[in-house]
Amino acid sequence: MSVMGSQEAVAQGRAMDPKVLMALRNLEWRARVVVEGFWSGMHRSPYHGFSVEFTEYREYTPGDDLRYLDWRLLGRSDRHFIKRFEDETNLRCHLLVDRSRSMDFGSTGYTKAAYAATLAASMAYLLHGQGDATGLLTFDETVRDYLPARHRRTHLRRLLLALEAASGGRDTDLVAPLQRAAEIIRKRGVVVLISDLLAPVDRLERSLQVLAAMGHEVTLFQVLDPVELTLNLAQAGWLEDVETGRLLYVDPEQARARYRERFEEHTAHVRRMCERLGILLHRLSTDQPLEVALAAFLRDRSRMPRAVRRARGGRAAGVA
Amino acid sequence: MNFLAPLFLAGAAAVALPILFHLVRRTTRERMPFSSLLFLTQTPPRVTRRNRIEDLLLLALRCLALVLLAAGFARPFLRDSTLVDLSDKPPERVLHLVDVSASMRRAGLWEAARERVETRVREASPADEVSVWVFDVQARPLVTFAEWGATPAGSRAALVAGRLRETQPGWMGTHLDDALATGAEALAEGSTGSGAGAPARRGRQRVVVVTDLQEGARLERLPAFDWPKGMELAVETVKPRHAGNAGLQWVAEMSESASATQAVVRVRVVNSSDATQGRFEVGWRAPTGEGFLGRAEEVLVPPGQSRVVPLPVPAGAAVDRVMLRGDEESFDNEVHVVPPVFSAVDVLYLGSDAVTEDPQQALFFLRKALPVAGRLSVRLTAAPARAALDPARLAAAKLVVVTDSLPEATARALRAEVERGKTVVFAPGTAEAYGGLGTLLGVAEVPVREAGLRRYAMLASVDTRHPVLAVFADPRFGDFTKIHFWKHRRVDLSAVPGARVMASFDSGDVAWAEVAAGQGRVLILASGWEPAESQFGLSTKFVPFFCAVLEYAGGAVEGAKPWTVGDSLPLPEVGTGVRTVRLPSGERSEVAAGVTRFAATLAPGIYTVEAGGPALRHAVNVEGAESRTAPGALESLESLGAPVRVQEAESKPDPVAREQLAAVETESRQKLWRWLIAATLGVLLVESAIAAWSSRRMQYEREVVP
Repeated sequence: MSVMGSQEAVAQGRAMDPKVLMALRNLEWRARVVVEGFWSGMHRSPYHGFSVEFTEYREYTPGDDLRYLDWRLLGRSDRHFIKRFEDETNLRCHLLVDRSRSMDFGSTGYTKAAYAATLAASMAYLLHGQGDATGLLTFDETVRDYLPARHRRTHLRRLLLALEAASGGRDTDLVAPLQRAAEIIRKRGVVVLISDLLAPVDRLERSLQVLAAMGHEVTLFQVLDPVELTLNLAQAGWLEDVETGRLLYVDPEQARARYRERFEEHTAHVRRMCERLGILLHRLSTDQPLEVALAAFLRDRSRMPRAVRRARGGRAAGVA
Repeated sequence: MNFLAPLFLAGAAAVALPILFHLVRRTTRERMPFSSLLFLTQTPPRVTRRNRIEDLLLLALRCLALVLLAAGFARPFLRDSTLVDLSDKPPERVLHLVDVSASMRRAGLWEAARERVETRVREASPADEVSVWVFDVQARPLVTFAEWGATPAGSRAALVAGRLRETQPGWMGTHLDDALATGAEALAEGSTGSGAGAPARRGRQRVVVVTDLQEGARLERLPAFDWPKGMELAVETVKPRHAGNAGLQWVAEMSESASATQAVVRVRVVNSSDATQGRFEVGWRAPTGEGFLGRAEEVLVPPGQSRVVPLPVPAGAAVDRVMLRGDEESFDNEVHVVPPVFSAVDVLYLGSDAVTEDPQQALFFLRKALPVAGRLSVRLTAAPARAALDPARLAAAKLVVVTDSLPEATARALRAEVERGKTVVFAPGTAEAYGGLGTLLGVAEVPVREAGLRRYAMLASVDTRHPVLAVFADPRFGDFTKIHFWKHRRVDLSAVPGARVMASFDSGDVAWAEVAAGQGRVLILASGWEPAESQFGLSTKFVPFFCAVLEYAGGAVEGAKPWTVGDSLPLPEVGTGVRTVRLPSGERSEVAAGVTRFAATLAPGIYTVEAGGPALRHAVNVEGAESRTAPGALESLESLGAPVRVQEAESKPDPVAREQLAAVETESRQKLWRWLIAATLGVLLVESAIAAWSSRRMQYEREVVP
């Protein structure tokens, strides 16, 4: 899990206060404002292919494509080596955004859904700016919208429009949508899942496992409202579950300790699952600047191959 | 503090409701959406200290509003000892109005009314001022305030009882409106004065009406009466032993519809709306004895309705009463009527055209004008004026019309008849024919000459005060300008004693004049009515004129108009003679000369006026409205603006009821409930303001401190 130095970042003027940011009505403007500070960020594609940037040599084994044999090296040293390159422009990133009704909760003046949409839009904007192909899949209990990963100006607009669409879902069921995503997204790439993960984790693991096994680099942003983290309610009262409509009388003073305990238990469960699957998990509170999240995302991207390799027991990434 | 309706105080128990609501509010019903209840468990309700303090103030205000409202509805009053303690009540000024109209003659009513008044008078405190009046068509004092004050306290009740015993209900109608106005004025008079023994505190002023409050009582003038301030009206109604009453009324016969061959009297049978029976018998009452004369008509009159029954006048019998049988209350079961009398009147015409009747001459028109049928038939006999006069014919005639010059003998004979009371119309067509006028008028000579008219003359002034011309007094009939007189004579009556000009021409000459002579009179017409003389004979004025002349000459039959008790009967003017009125009781009442009406019609019956000529009979009956004896509504009095305070109970109220009455009055004067309702509204306003402020503050806090 990343540690977000949000307050410091805002204080130093590097990041924008999300309250100010969310006051902007247009999603594209919000994304542009966020991305401005990260334009120069670089990341690697998990694909090895034709590129000017050389990565490493590998000893030739019979069956390798002779086109990639380093003839100069052979001439100099009479050794057979294969040249490997990194593809910097062919990153395919799919943003999986949870639009279930639980995301409609917000105590900060805006909802988690709006925050998640801004985060997704910022990422799309960032990736588009770098020439990467970005796809979108929104879901609640089923898949709502799917835009395949492309790199076009119009595509970015469609993507932003899809993100701006109102959420109409009911439950959070991560299993079915993720399975569907695994079916749709056949080509390996980056998968960014943005959700509050306020659902039982047991079945989630299997779905994420499928995604990870398909070679996707999965990053998980858990978006939470500050009240969900602390249960700082103003007064006791009847709480209504926005998804199920269930009513529960809750006195925050009395329930806080137990809530936190169970919440942390859930979080720990999620964290352990992510570690097992080699998924990077970031917990975002909606009062944190989005730049912090983007920085963490880019930081992860630079470390990703090693981390993934570690998590997957040293399995090498496939050669294109 | 006492309450008029203490049951409403139970409404204060509703205070429990806000308390309950406040208790319920502790577990707020407000729902807050939350993303997921996955990690939450139900916690028991807990009350925060701050909420309790704020809500306590609201609770107190809401409870206070409810208590005030309940108290307001319970109609509180502060017990005022002066009002409740009857022994210490301020002296009252009470005027009793006792109904003595004809309807009070019903069985038991008068006794009940008398007893009521006597009881009230006995109960009056010595400081009270009491007066007792009786009323029918007008109110008359029986015991005045002054008499009451002058009588020792112990003898006052006896004084009133004695006066009441001397009084009996009369036969007149019930003019309750006039009586109330008179009574209220009498009560108000002198009440402001501070005579000896005037009370320091001003007590109530009340008019107490003891009446049967019948439907037929007149109330029309009540709305126009301005009641003195602070005056109260109490109505004590007395109930008759038998409900319902039927009465008889004589329906006046129009003279035009009268037939000379069949005399019929129509009577109306009226049955009151509270009657229990509707089958009656109507017929002529036998002059002697109690029964009907001949067969009685059976009539079916449903309650509240009336039927008109025609009764043929039996020939040869002197009947003047129609009787109703089948009704318990007898005061209006008999009606006096004057059956139409058919008489023939002789008129003697003396003129040149008496032998050969010419359509252009005066006699032709006179014959057409005088009635030959109906109640009065005129026998007109004509004779030449210049011939010798048959004394028998002259004696028989009531009216003599002369249109030619009279021989001296005839003139003298006429003069003698005039002095005995005959009427002569003298209207010769030429100035020369006026020769006998001097003799007729008893003067040496009356200068007469022909008026030389260029075109025509018109009547300029008509004295409609003259009995003959009174019929034209109405402006609709008083236009004589359409009548042109082609020729007329200038008759100088300045030297004639007793001459009265009835009408004059536009030239100022006398047109019509009356000269009284002895008991009779001579009417002089300076122009004839035949077409050669004027348009008078052809005008619409001619027939009424000669009918009036005929009536003036004493040829008219007695008036068949029905009169009611209390009406003034007209008396004929007979020179300077004294007239006598024979009352139903048989007594005779002499009326001095100059008095034109006889007002003392105190009982129903036939009043016969004897004034030289034939006796005039007038039927006087009980007012028809008196027969409508169904009880009238007290509310109608109230709706007409009478300050009816409380309907007095028939029996003496018991102390508890009296105290209750006092409480009602005290409460209605203090009206404390108004203040309580106002206070409730005030409290509710404050409560609303506090609640609004509090909710705004809570919302603000919720926004600032999530």
